[in-house]
Amino acid sequence: MTYFQSALRRAGKWVMPFVLSWMVCAMLISASPILVSAQETLTGAQILEQVDHNLQPGNLEMYRKIINIEPDGKKKEFVLWFLKKDMDKIVTLFISPASEEGRATLRLGDNMWLYIPNVGKPIRITSMQSVVGGVFNNADIMRLDYHVEYDVADLAEDQGQHLLDLKAKTGAVAYDRLKMWVLKQELVPTRIECYAATGMLIKTLHFKEIKDIGDGVVRPAVMETDSPLYQGYKSIMVSANLKKRDLPDEVFTLNYLSRVKDLR
Amino acid sequence: MTQDLSGGFSNLCPKLSRRVSVLIICLMLWGLPPFPAGASEYDFAIPEAEPAAWSFGGRITARYTWHRLDDQTTGYGRLYAGTDPGANTHDGQAAAELSAAWRRSSFQARVLTRHAYTRTFEQDTWDNDIYEAYLSWSPAPNITLDAGKKPVLWGTGYAWNPAGFLNRPKDPDDPSLNLEGRTLAGIDFIKSVTHGALNNFGITALVLPVADDWFNTDFGQHGDVNTALKLYLLWHDTDIDFIFFNGPDHPLSLGLDFAKNLAENLAVHGELAFQKDAPTTDYTADSTVSQTTENQVSGLLGLRYLNAHDTTFIAEYYHNGAGYDDSRIFLPSPDRQRNPGKDYLYAKISQKEPLEILYLTTWVSAVVNLHDHSLNLQPGLTWTPVTNLEINGRIGVPIGDAQTEFGEKPDRFRPEIWVRYYF
Repeated sequence: MTYFQSALRRAGKWVMPFVLSWMVCAMLISASPILVSAQETLTGAQILEQVDHNLQPGNLEMYRKIINIEPDGKKKEFVLWFLKKDMDKIVTLFISPASEEGRATLRLGDNMWLYIPNVGKPIRITSMQSVVGGVFNNADIMRLDYHVEYDVADLAEDQGQHLLDLKAKTGAVAYDRLKMWVLKQELVPTRIECYAATGMLIKTLHFKEIKDIGDGVVRPAVMETDSPLYQGYKSIMVSANLKKRDLPDEVFTLNYLSRVKDLR
Repeated sequence: MTQDLSGGFSNLCPKLSRRVSVLIICLMLWGLPPFPAGASEYDFAIPEAEPAAWSFGGRITARYTWHRLDDQTTGYGRLYAGTDPGANTHDGQAAAELSAAWRRSSFQARVLTRHAYTRTFEQDTWDNDIYEAYLSWSPAPNITLDAGKKPVLWGTGYAWNPAGFLNRPKDPDDPSLNLEGRTLAGIDFIKSVTHGALNNFGITALVLPVADDWFNTDFGQHGDVNTALKLYLLWHDTDIDFIFFNGPDHPLSLGLDFAKNLAENLAVHGELAFQKDAPTTDYTADSTVSQTTENQVSGLLGLRYLNAHDTTFIAEYYHNGAGYDDSRIFLPSPDRQRNPGKDYLYAKISQKEPLEILYLTTWVSAVVNLHDHSLNLQPGLTWTPVTNLEINGRIGVPIGDAQTEFGEKPDRFRPEIWVRYYF
């Protein structure tokens, strides 16, 4: 064995474990990109923006199944096609049941409309109403990114999770305050409590089933809600078939609501 | 054989073998879902996510109306002249509405037909109508061309649409009612604007030809071609429409409507309409008919408010430029409107899910003639106890003195129930 071979072998003894560890780390990091942000110390605003990115990453389409469950176990399901563009544009189209098919909603910032095919002209609706009944209101179904509507008033730690205290930026927002529990590693919420300006708890959202819901987007696929105002009732929203998709701004206009089904 | 190879490899390079094993385990872990999957209690399957080229649907409606009659009224005398219906009459109707749609690329076609059997005190009738039959082509997302029979519903009012010159009369307490379309050819253009107070605008241009005994006969004479134009603006978070409608035998009609959310639970809307040289049919007491023309201005202003208990309040004031404010409202007219008076108030209070009954909405509405202070009071409900089954009920109660619009209606009260099943 030459001196060069011997030196190479001695170096390999130290270098190989390092190289292997580096490869494994690189692979793990590439498999879970959201872990990157968890390595840093983030401010409340950064956490909230990352939560938004993880829940609704950019311009997209997806399907949402809303299940309203009554105290006796009776269920009613709705399937919506959900389109989002930028920070302030959302369209939903009712796919089923047949009695609701063709209805569509549009949200542009704080403005919301409901299009009913037989009525023709879309009517303005408000965030606290619900087009599907049950516990979810329009603001839950056509939710903008949280950081668009809320400021972080406080960041704390609770039960091993980030606890964000969010305050609505304007009075036009459906809930005056939110308490949001966020997983430190994945930066997705596990629970959000929604409060009125009076301090009354309106509802609690529970986020479950973290999985790939399409196009590599890993996030809670299920959002459950219950409310002290609707004792015994529960509503569930399942998100699936997500695809990143850029649509023209014109799709997010009143005149287009009657034709939005053509884009499916 | 595998054991031999493995053992041989381990013997050759034991440390490297252990590292490779660790690497393989890491790779296996990497291939697993990043979070524990486990058995889920949720059904993630959404078969509706795969759209089909063809779609079919429809609904069946059964409707029953009981008329408790008042034989002392002007309306009774006119409606039941020469007959003796007794104190009560009953109407029944069974209707099927069938739709089919086809879509391929930027083209689509849709047909909606309505087939109804109606039984009244006087007669039984069958009606078979084509409500919609049109082709659409969207060469770009913001441009659509339509040709055929398609409903047109313009205006922002709930009970009336004075600026909706092309609209069919609607029932404000039954928004699910299908309305017959207009035969037209048109283009719709939409443009979004990203800067400034103007967020987007749209232009709808239509031509509506008239063919005797076939289509658009209420818009003029055979061979006439009417034109309609609507400019829509979303400006300062306010919906604004400018409407134009004109034809050889149709008065020049100009309209404006708007709607705006004043707060997250409060919206305001309104319409203004002007018709130049609109024909009016007048009757004298000895039934002599006279035809005149006049410029008419109509308007509507409304509010919609939702409180914390999910109670919705709607109020609309309507000035009918073509209306009467005297005894002529009782006289028959070929162009009789749903409400022939001059000034009205529509008020509706609806409560969503009262007594915690899911999918039930109860409501009470009133149409008040502001000149004679008579009104039609109408409590009702809509309930969807199971998916695709909708049950509606209401009781119309006309209230008013003699010689008032609603005091002279033929019914003392009129309960009505209709059930719809969607498929």
